[in-house]
Order: sequence, then C-alpha cells, then structure tokens
Amino acid sequence: MTLAVFLPFLLAALCAGLGPRLGRRTGYVAALAFVPALLLAGPLSAMPGAVPALEVTRWVPTLDLALAFRGDGFSLLFAVLVGVIGTLASLYAVAYLSERERFGRFYSYLLLFGGSMLGLVLSDNLIALFGFWELTSVTSFLLIGLWHTRSAARDGAVKAFLVSALGGLGLLAAVAMIGIAGGSTSLSGLNLEALRASPLFTPALLLVLLAAFTKSAQLPFHLWLPTAMEAPTPVSAFLHSATMVKAGVVLVAKFGLLFGSSPLWGGIIVPVGLATLVWGAWIALRQTDLKALLAYSTVSQLGLLMSLYGLADAEGNFAATAHLLNHAAFKAALFFVVGIIDHETGTREIPLLGGLRKALPLTFAAALLASLSMAGVPPLGGFISKELFYEAMLHQGPVFIAVAVLGSALTFAYSFRLLRVFWGPRRHPAGVQPHEAPPGLLLPAGLLTLGALAFGLLPGSVEALTRTAQNALDFATYTSHLSLWHGVTPALLATLLTWGLGAVLIWQAGRVAILGRRLTPRVNANTVYYALTEGVNVLSSRLIARTQGLALPDQLRLMLGAAALIAGYAVWRAPQVFHPIGTPPLALLPVAALLVAGAVGVLLARSRLTAVVVTGLTGFGSAAAFLGLRAPDLALTQLLVEAVTVILYLLAFRYLPRGGDLPRARWRLRLDLLLAASMGLGATLLVLAGVRFLAPPISPYYLENSYELAGGRNVVNVLLVDFRGFDTLGEIVVVGTVALAVLALVRLGKGGRPRPEASAPPPSPETPPAPPRIKEET
Amino acid sequence: MSRENPTPAPGARRGPTPPPLTGDPILRTVSRAVFALVILFALLLLWRGHNAPGGGFIAGLMTACALILHRIAYGHSALRLDPARLVPWGLALSFLTGLVPYLLGRPFLKSDYGYLTTALTGKFEWASALLFDLGVYLVVVGASLAIAYGLAEVNPQERVEDDQ
Repeated sequence: MTLAVFLPFLLAALCAGLGPRLGRRTGYVAALAFVPALLLAGPLSAMPGAVPALEVTRWVPTLDLALAFRGDGFSLLFAVLVGVIGTLASLYAVAYLSERERFGRFYSYLLLFGGSMLGLVLSDNLIALFGFWELTSVTSFLLIGLWHTRSAARDGAVKAFLVSALGGLGLLAAVAMIGIAGGSTSLSGLNLEALRASPLFTPALLLVLLAAFTKSAQLPFHLWLPTAMEAPTPVSAFLHSATMVKAGVVLVAKFGLLFGSSPLWGGIIVPVGLATLVWGAWIALRQTDLKALLAYSTVSQLGLLMSLYGLADAEGNFAATAHLLNHAAFKAALFFVVGIIDHETGTREIPLLGGLRKALPLTFAAALLASLSMAGVPPLGGFISKELFYEAMLHQGPVFIAVAVLGSALTFAYSFRLLRVFWGPRRHPAGVQPHEAPPGLLLPAGLLTLGALAFGLLPGSVEALTRTAQNALDFATYTSHLSLWHGVTPALLATLLTWGLGAVLIWQAGRVAILGRRLTPRVNANTVYYALTEGVNVLSSRLIARTQGLALPDQLRLMLGAAALIAGYAVWRAPQVFHPIGTPPLALLPVAALLVAGAVGVLLARSRLTAVVVTGLTGFGSAAAFLGLRAPDLALTQLLVEAVTVILYLLAFRYLPRGGDLPRARWRLRLDLLLAASMGLGATLLVLAGVRFLAPPISPYYLENSYELAGGRNVVNVLLVDFRGFDTLGEIVVVGTVALAVLALVRLGKGGRPRPEASAPPPSPETPPAPPRIKEET
Repeated sequence: MSRENPTPAPGARRGPTPPPLTGDPILRTVSRAVFALVILFALLLLWRGHNAPGGGFIAGLMTACALILHRIAYGHSALRLDPARLVPWGLALSFLTGLVPYLLGRPFLKSDYGYLTTALTGKFEWASALLFDLGVYLVVVGASLAIAYGLAEVNPQERVEDDQ
C-alpha cells in the first residue's frame, strides 16, 4: 500500500522529465504508476474475512504523525477503483491530447493527483489524511488550470481551490479536535466513547461536514464542480468519477462510524444530499454543453451518495457502496464518450449535434449503455443501486422518497437528453467528417461500459465487491441481496413512477425549458461567490491605497507607533517584575557610550551619507559589545553584516531623491520626537521585562554536549548546524526567498533577466527604448 | 574578460549604469590585491567553523563582500554565473545533508563526525556538518550577491543630482 501511494509521486517526477522527450507516450509510463494500486485487488479479494493490513512509516513520532496506511475493505475497494480509472484515464489521454500539449506537466499533475487520492483513501493517520486531502485540492487546482492561458480555466481552478481549501481548513480543525477528544491520531485507534462524550464532538462533526460538502460539491458549494470541467476531458473523467469529488463521500463514509451515532449527522447530510440530488439534476437538464450536463449530473449523483452514506446505517452503507461502484463505471465511461464526440466533431453543444449514431456506432453503443445505467434502467447496474436507494429512502419516510423520485426522474430525463446527439437527422459542424474514434479512445469507454453492464447482468459481481467493504463500514449484519428482479415492491412502484415522470419531462421538454428559464434565481451560488471575491478585492485594494500609498516616512511612523503600542501593552499586561541584570563589565561602558553617540548622531546628521556612517557606528559598536561579552561568532557576523549593509545602502542611494526635500514642519518634528521616545521606552521596557532568568538556563547543556554529541568545539556553530539545524534550514530558505523577492522588485520594469552569455548583443543605441513596463498587469 | 560593461552612450536612456566608483584606479588595485586574500580567508572561516569562530553564514558574507568589491571596481562580476542560481543548489545541499541521516534512521539533520589520520595532515577531523555549512554558504553568497547585483544593474528612474 505504501508503494501504491508513493509510486505515483515518484513517477510524477519521472514523467515531468520524460514528457518533452517521449511526448504522448509518457502516458504509458504514467499508467505504470497505478499498477501497485491495481495489485491491491489481491488483498481486496480476500477481504470480507481477512484482517486489515496496517503499514506504518515513521515520520514525526513526536507529533504522533506517521504515514499509516490501513487496507480495510472499503479503502482497498476505493484504492483499486482509483487505480482502474487512473490507468484508463492515462491511456485515454495518450490518444486524446493534441501533439502540442505539454505532456510532462500534464502527466505529472495527473499522477500527483492520483497519488494523493490513494493516500487519502488508504490513510489511517488523521494528520496524514488531512495532508493528502489538501494535496488533492492543490493538485486538482493544477489540473483544472492546466490550460492556464484560458481565463475560464484560471477562474475554474481558483474557484475549486478556494472552495475546497475552505473545507480543508475545517478539516484541519476537525482533525485536531478528534485527535484531542479521541486520544489518538490513528483513525482505527480512536477512543469512540471518549470522543462521543467530549464537548468537542459537535464542533468536530460540523467541521467535518463542511469539509465533506465543499469537496463533494454539495449545496451550496456545488459551484466549483461545473467550472472544473475546464480541465481536459481525461482529467474530468478522473476527477468526477472516482476521485476528487468522491473524497467528501469517502470522508462521510469513514467518519460515519465516528459521528453516525449523533442525530445531527444524518439530520444534516441526508436533506442536503437530497436537495443536491434534485437541484443538480434540474440544472443538468438545462445544459446545452454535454460536459456541463455531465458535471451537474455528478453534483446530483454525489448528493445521492451523500444522502445514503449520511444515514450511517447498514442499509445506507450497502446501497451507497453499490451505487459508488456503478457511478464510477458509468460516469467515467460517459466522460470518455463525450471526449470522443468532442474529439471527432469539435463541439460539445447539444443543439449543434445530431444523428451521430451512424458515424460513431461503437461510441453510440457505449453511450447508450452508460446513460441507461445512469437513468436506472434494467438490466444495468444503475437500476439495481437505484432500487436500493429507494428502499433506503422508503424507510425514512414519505417526504424522502418523494424527493428521491423527483430527483431520479430528472436524472432519467437528462440521461436521454444526453443521448439525443445520437438520434435524429445528421447534424454536426461544417467541415468535419466524424468517424469512429481510434481504439485508444474507445477501449477505456468500452471497458467501463462493459463493467456497468456486468454489474447489472451479474448482480452477484457488484454484490461481492460491495460486500468486501462490509466490515470497514459496519454493515456486516446486512443480509439483503442484489438482484434484478426482486418482486413487486414499493421500490419498484416508485421506479415505475420515476419513469413516468421522466417520460413526461422528455415529452414536454420545450415547456420544461421555458419553466427552467423562468425559475432561474437571480441570486445563486455563483453570484454570491463573485460578489464575495470582488468584495475582498475591493476591500484590500482600498486598504492598500490607504496605507501603502503614504509617503515612506508616514509609513514608518505608523509602524513605529504600532510597535510602541504593542510593546507598551505587553509590558503593561506582563507581571512588572524587573530583575536586576547584574553588574555589566566596566570595559563595556565606552562601547555603550559609543552606541548612544551613534544613535544621537543619526538624528543630528544633515546628509544621508553622514547618517549611514553614523548608523554604522552603532553596528560596529554592537560588534564590539559582543566581543566584550565573549561572543566572537556574533561579533564576526555583526561586523560583516555591517559591511554588507553599508554597501547595499550605497547602491540604493543612487535611486533616492536628495535628502531634505521633505517638509519639516514643527509639529511633525514633535510628533517624531514623541514617537521615537515612546518606541525607545517601549523597547527598553520589553527587554528589561524579558531579562528574567526564572527558568534554569539551557546553555550548560549545549556547552557540555556539543563536543560529545556533534564533535564541534564551537558551540554556536554546533547549535546552528546540528542541534537547531532545522531552524537554520528554515532561515536559509527565508534568505533565499528574500533575495528572490528583492530581485523581482528591482528588476521590475526590465525586460527579463539579463543573459549570462557573452553572446547577447549589447543594446544598440539605434533601437528606440522600450517604454518602462511598471504599469500593473492586471 | 569578455563581459566588459558597456559604457552608456550619451543620450542612451537604457542599459546598466555603472556603479559609482567603477574604474577608479586605486579601488581596482586594492581590489585586485585583496580579492584572493578575502576569498581565502572566507574559505578558512568556513572550514574552521565547527571548532572555532566562523561558519557558513560569516564565510558567505565575506565572500559576497569580496565579490561586490570586485564588481564595483571593475564593473563586471567575477562570478561566471547568475548568483541567484546558487540559492537552490545551496538549499538542496543543506536539505540533502539533513535527509541522509533521516533515511539512515537517525534524526533529521543529525550530523556525524570522525577523525582521519594521514601522513600529510596528521590527525584531522571531518564532520558532515561542513556540508550543511557549505549549503548555508552557497545560499548566503547567492542571496546577498543577487540583491547587490540587482541593485547595481537596475536603471534608476530618479537620480541624485550630485551623483557622478
């Protein structure tokens, strides 16, 4: 399992390098990454009885953080599903993408995404689970924005990221609460009684729900999923069928064991899920873009899955797991089919297409079977799982079943709308001759369709697969069996009603469309989203204009004033005990005098150069003080920092206006004096309050152990490179980042970085100078 | 040197402006005399950092000083590559020295040391921390040089009148 999670990450790096060389064939390498995930089918087949394997890789033991992967029935089932769809999507993309695509980037993103999804479903450690969860958000951002030159792709990627990152923050808090209340960060090792009794239980539950709803695009967070279709079609198939969006469903399924006991859990999830089912299907029915139709259909189907898992009982879990498999099969197949149509005709608009049946017979067959499965028509898998859904909803009450029937009728209607492009008179954009897709495109769609068919014709197959998850999701006691014909039950009657309603919807398609247009609400999730992002933009730009637009001295005044206030507050709040600091060595007094003289000198300096030189006095004075206090390392560093600072000052001088240009009003001087005095006072008090050796000093430990443990006599250096090496690593990252930021600033307005090659032609004086490009590029 | 700083033709508004003292003969002579010494001293600081005052940060700053001095005196860099490129390499080196002990099952960044005795040098200590320090050195050199060169190369929009 560890290998299954990490191989995609490793091969992602490989693919990034191979991409430019292998071109589209990189896809074959990418498909290899999912082989270990497919091999998990072995332990999966032994599953209903076998003990779940646990593989633990140590990471940060002090934080109770480990890469623990637990292969129970449900996570293995899902991992294999991710593997299957991932392999098919990689292979499909080989035939689908154009020659000009950046394959290295595409496949490495795809693999990073697949790897994080595998990590998410297999992870048993809560913190690692959160990490993988966020990784799926980041990588899906990259995937959706793959064609980043298109503004729609950028918008979709940002939207998806903002919405799912919001949920991610919720999950982080929830994971922390669960870990504290349950006494463990291991999902399987939690103390459930303690967790349920804890006051953190309800907040954690609500935050988990926030995470699940944002990720799985439940109302009102469904806005990001349809725009996520800006990604290339193989990615959409991967994102929508097996993975990204189902992460929320996985979370609800897994955490149902923790939170299912609370009435709040099902009480929130089931209504939200059913509302999403109906609303998503209703919007899907009104789409003219095939892919948009499928995207909203995914929203709707996720609602169905959510409402089933949200029941957190044996029946719901059983039905949901069966439907999960069916949905993965038919939805991925349909995305592949839409990809073929797009590939062959160059459009996905339903009104522009028609009669494709003759040109694309095999595609038509795949589309027919997959859509019928989505519509819930026998003898396909979708029918069986819909019957289970109705059974479960019948037990919940009449309102639930009514909503479920309405949602399914809409599903039925849009499934047929999807098929409309194959019927009727032949119609497609001029200039293209659609013909059957190459096998590379057909095969993945065909295989998945056959899966959907097999699930229906051999109900035992899907039942066997569903059963593997029974122990993990706690429905081992559920005894019902899957079959195509289970007698005339209320569920079957509900299905007949669904078909009737669906047929009416198809028959009265024109009126439904008019009704839909009339019912379109003015305010929807998207308008709210754009209002919010716009509001944040306006607010921040106003804030920046108010604060950053000030003259530099005013900005400094603001900062110093704030610092003085904060320091004063800290001293005022802290216990005001100033311990004696001991007698400073007399030899330091001249140095102290020098420092003070430097500080006063800066105030008196009339020219900038003098000011810098006098400032240097304080710097070199500090170095002398360090030396006097027997810290040669610090003194050396301080000396060199001073030298470099002076150089940088001198270099920066060339760009500054002449000093003394600023008006020096009397009140301004007084204000400055006041600010400087309060700032100095605050800093002094803060330092004095800080000099409290209440705890035993830690320096003797380092003095004793630095030679023993790290073999160095220079304790400061040993501290930097060994005992606190991680800090140093972080600091040099900061140093590097600062350098990059300064470079970006000073090179603003230059046409790119200077070429290090000597062959670069010198700028000839004849060419007209390019206008300075400092204007904002927004 | 092939990369002579192109002196701006009168009236040309673009192109790098030479730093204030470029071409000053005294500065050139001093820089030439001092350059190698400073670099050597910096390397010495880096080497002895484990047992005596010194270390990657100080050595890096010192090297940067020497290079900036050279740059100011001669108008071109003594370093043949873009200093910003040193930063990722330094980071990678430091990170890798940390990663190796971790992969061997010890704490991240745990350093190791030992003693070698050769006829030429006598008993002599090696420490893996030196590699980490080397990474720090590269980052500091790269970052400070990148900033200084960036400031030196930029075409100022506004000038101090009595400059030059």
